[in-house]
Amino acid sequence: MVFDEGGVCLSRLFDFAGGTGMGYSQPEPLLSKNKVTLPPNLMRKALPRWPRLSEPEMVRHYTWLSRRNFGIDTGFYPLGSCTMKHNPRVNEVIAQLPGIADIHPHQPEHHLQGLLSIYHEMQHMLAICSGMDDVTLQPVAGAQGEFTAVRCVQEYFRKRGETQRTKVIVPDSAHGTNPASAAMAGYDIVEIPSLENGRIDLEALKAVVDDTVALMMITNPNTLGLFETDVPEASDIVHAAGGQMYYDGANFNAILGRTSPGLMGFDAVHFNLHKTFSQPHGGGGPGSGPIGVKSHLAEFLPSPVVKKRPIVGDEAKFAVDDMWYTWYEPEHTIGKVQQWHGNAGAIIRCWAYYRRYGYGLKDMSEHAVLNANYLRHALHREAKKADVSHMFVDGAEAEVAKHEFTISLQPAKEAVGVSAMDVAKGLLDMGYMAPTVYFPLVVPECMMFEPTETESRDTLDTFAKDFAQVLKVDPQTLHEAPITTPVRRVDEVYAARNLCLKHPFDEE
Amino acid sequence: MVDQLPNRGLETEMLKEMGFSSIDDLFSDLPEHVRMSEPLPLPPPQSEEEIIADARRLLGANLAMGEAVSFLGAGIYRNYVPASVFQLITRGEFLTSYTPYQPEVSQGMLQAMWEFQTLISELVGLPIANLSLYDGSTAAAEALTCAVRVHTRKATQSNTVYISELVPPDRMSVMHNYCQGAGITLKVLKHNADGTLDIDSVHSAAGSCGVYVEQPNPLGILDGGLTQIKEIIGKNTALIVGVQPVSLGLVEAPGNYGADIIVGEGQPFGSPPTGGGPIYGIFACSKPYLRLMPGRIVGRSIDVDGKEAYCLTLSTREQHIRRHRATSNICTNETLIALMGAMHMSLLGPEGLEHLAYRNMTACVLAKQKLSEINEISVPHISSAHFNEFVIELPRSAADCLKYLDSVGIIGGFDLNRWYEGRNNWLLVSVTDQTKAAEIELLAAHLAVWCSMKEVFA
Repeated sequence: MVFDEGGVCLSRLFDFAGGTGMGYSQPEPLLSKNKVTLPPNLMRKALPRWPRLSEPEMVRHYTWLSRRNFGIDTGFYPLGSCTMKHNPRVNEVIAQLPGIADIHPHQPEHHLQGLLSIYHEMQHMLAICSGMDDVTLQPVAGAQGEFTAVRCVQEYFRKRGETQRTKVIVPDSAHGTNPASAAMAGYDIVEIPSLENGRIDLEALKAVVDDTVALMMITNPNTLGLFETDVPEASDIVHAAGGQMYYDGANFNAILGRTSPGLMGFDAVHFNLHKTFSQPHGGGGPGSGPIGVKSHLAEFLPSPVVKKRPIVGDEAKFAVDDMWYTWYEPEHTIGKVQQWHGNAGAIIRCWAYYRRYGYGLKDMSEHAVLNANYLRHALHREAKKADVSHMFVDGAEAEVAKHEFTISLQPAKEAVGVSAMDVAKGLLDMGYMAPTVYFPLVVPECMMFEPTETESRDTLDTFAKDFAQVLKVDPQTLHEAPITTPVRRVDEVYAARNLCLKHPFDEE
Repeated sequence: MVDQLPNRGLETEMLKEMGFSSIDDLFSDLPEHVRMSEPLPLPPPQSEEEIIADARRLLGANLAMGEAVSFLGAGIYRNYVPASVFQLITRGEFLTSYTPYQPEVSQGMLQAMWEFQTLISELVGLPIANLSLYDGSTAAAEALTCAVRVHTRKATQSNTVYISELVPPDRMSVMHNYCQGAGITLKVLKHNADGTLDIDSVHSAAGSCGVYVEQPNPLGILDGGLTQIKEIIGKNTALIVGVQPVSLGLVEAPGNYGADIIVGEGQPFGSPPTGGGPIYGIFACSKPYLRLMPGRIVGRSIDVDGKEAYCLTLSTREQHIRRHRATSNICTNETLIALMGAMHMSLLGPEGLEHLAYRNMTACVLAKQKLSEINEISVPHISSAHFNEFVIELPRSAADCLKYLDSVGIIGGFDLNRWYEGRNNWLLVSVTDQTKAAEIELLAAHLAVWCSMKEVFA
């Protein structure tokens, strides 16, 4: 037994060193071990110093760890920009079926008609929702989707001989992945400042747009949760100079069935399927980041995408309907961004999620926006009741928010020295996951809330009351928060200065 | 549909309290001309029962490898994942958490990832491992750009890396996509007729930023020559080795023969094949690469009371801080699948790992022996040691052979003509710990039948 400084019993994997070293029994090898020969210099000299746990010990260790972790299942998770919605459990059951779990990406098409038909259905649905012409499901994360789309645009311009287009424009309020993805593809990044209310500055845009610009990347609703009404104009400005428009779909949850990137004038878009649809995000992944493009970019998509044609001959015995689903290599494909067919397991879960809504995806977005606006309203209402409304202001002036919104705790900071981080830690003590803090940077002492559509009004009301209560806590106590969590504030500077990135074992 | 939206039926009340009269008011900020005027042309919503029935019907139309006899590998392998892994991963505290931005309530996942880093570090023989990239191919691609960032200033062949010519085209394509933006030139290293790396060609890589090879290589060959590379290229060129992690229960950890970066498909630990994703990419490195490496990493620290605590560290490399100067654009990764890997590795223990590697290798020895007994078939690299797979050379095209085997319920392997032009008759046969002796016999019998046919099967 190992105890921490506070006397709490710890479970540490590398303290388990005894036992048989076989947490699950295995059959004997097909031949005796001495039939195996290796080049002498490739014989492993010492086995890894892995722990030795029996199954009961292993189960208890990971159960212990899980109890020191917070998920949506544990409680309200209003983490802005991350869309932490409920994950329907039927999706997990479906993802374990052998027809998805036990299939190999190199199996021939007639072994995978079910998978391919689901891919086709998803491509079609995403194209409809986004107003794009073609979709690939290959990118496995939002950032990889961005990178993939940037690469498609890059090859499109190379093919047209417009190699002078070396720049990508991103607003300063953009997610960090936007400039990182464009830079990875080799572009120079031109950052344009946002207006004071966080919105796109058309004058700043005009000042940098010329025929050296390949692409502009925008999120709409933007990272403050506001709809960028000037996006169609921005799109006109960029298109007039021959550039392309990219829609970062991180906030797509807000607008399904109400508008689309296609209607707003975009040429390419990525989806964060794990946010807008559903894939449990398990500590930061997996995800899925398909992209949609207008027809002029379609032949540059990564290979393969799924197409369909009527069945012929004896294909009927493998087909799932009267169509044959087939892998297609786009003519000018950029190739591959992941070696296989994307995160098939995540795509299946998102398919199940989509089927639950069908055309009602619009309701999903409406409820996401309803809940965000309601929470914003409730926070002000409860703050007034508790006499703490002087502690924060809206992060941006707007009559309505979309699926998320920001507040600034700058007044609290100035009045009593309480920071957004203090309030976040106070909320942890109340049993909530904290909202996103200090993003976007354009809002001082920013706190960003995204309740999602799967939270009840009662939860929102209770949270709003508790939030007001946190603001009533005396500043010194808040500086000390959290006190009820498995550990208290973690020293990140210590971690960086005294790097300990693995178990030190005895000798180090 | 109500089941997912708790506030259905409360819309009017909630809107009224906010001073709105309809849900349209919440979208009044959308300019008229970008509004969608028609309902989404999609089918009606389904109940859970209908969805699961459709899922069973559609996914049931796929041929699961377990329903056939499979010898298909080529990078993704059938394996056994213990039941407790699947049970534990459904714990909502793990399953439904996000990136641990609030470490005080994310200690479970943080500690589990720190333990994962240790498990990988021990397995490959390098001191540092991140908590996963998307897959083996992106891990390999990011290793190349990392090597260039570290070495290009001192390199006589700046912005240049050398890659084994056997690397499959799909993997190579990912590398190209990741490298082209940085202006990196990919050059190839030749292999000998026996499938091993041409060590002489490695001399040409001296002065470049990195060398990428695989152990076992894409033909399944365990190549003893790779242990000489580091001495040839020296410390200013990174040795990057792609591994099949299970093999390291028997095969020397590349960290012990000079590898600077080790990558690989983590999938055999913890994850079924799942059509190729979500799986996870392993990325490990030595200290000189730490500050320019991609991906998240967990450090052990203390809290304000001095208690042991864990948090993400060295984040200044990452996109949310460094933006376009970040070492990678990665944000979402494969943490949950890496956690499954950690659980599987924990259950194996050192001896269990060694046993598992023996099971994989003896299956390979047996299969090689049985198939080489067929007169019309040769095993071109028969004198080498193999892990998981080996090439057989057929009297006619591998594509035709696969069609025949398919007709008798056998997924016979991978047609190497898809990777290597002109290798029409090369079939890559894969076996794992899941392969049974009777299945090998069955494959041998049917290969003999196909060989004896006078004309093409299909």
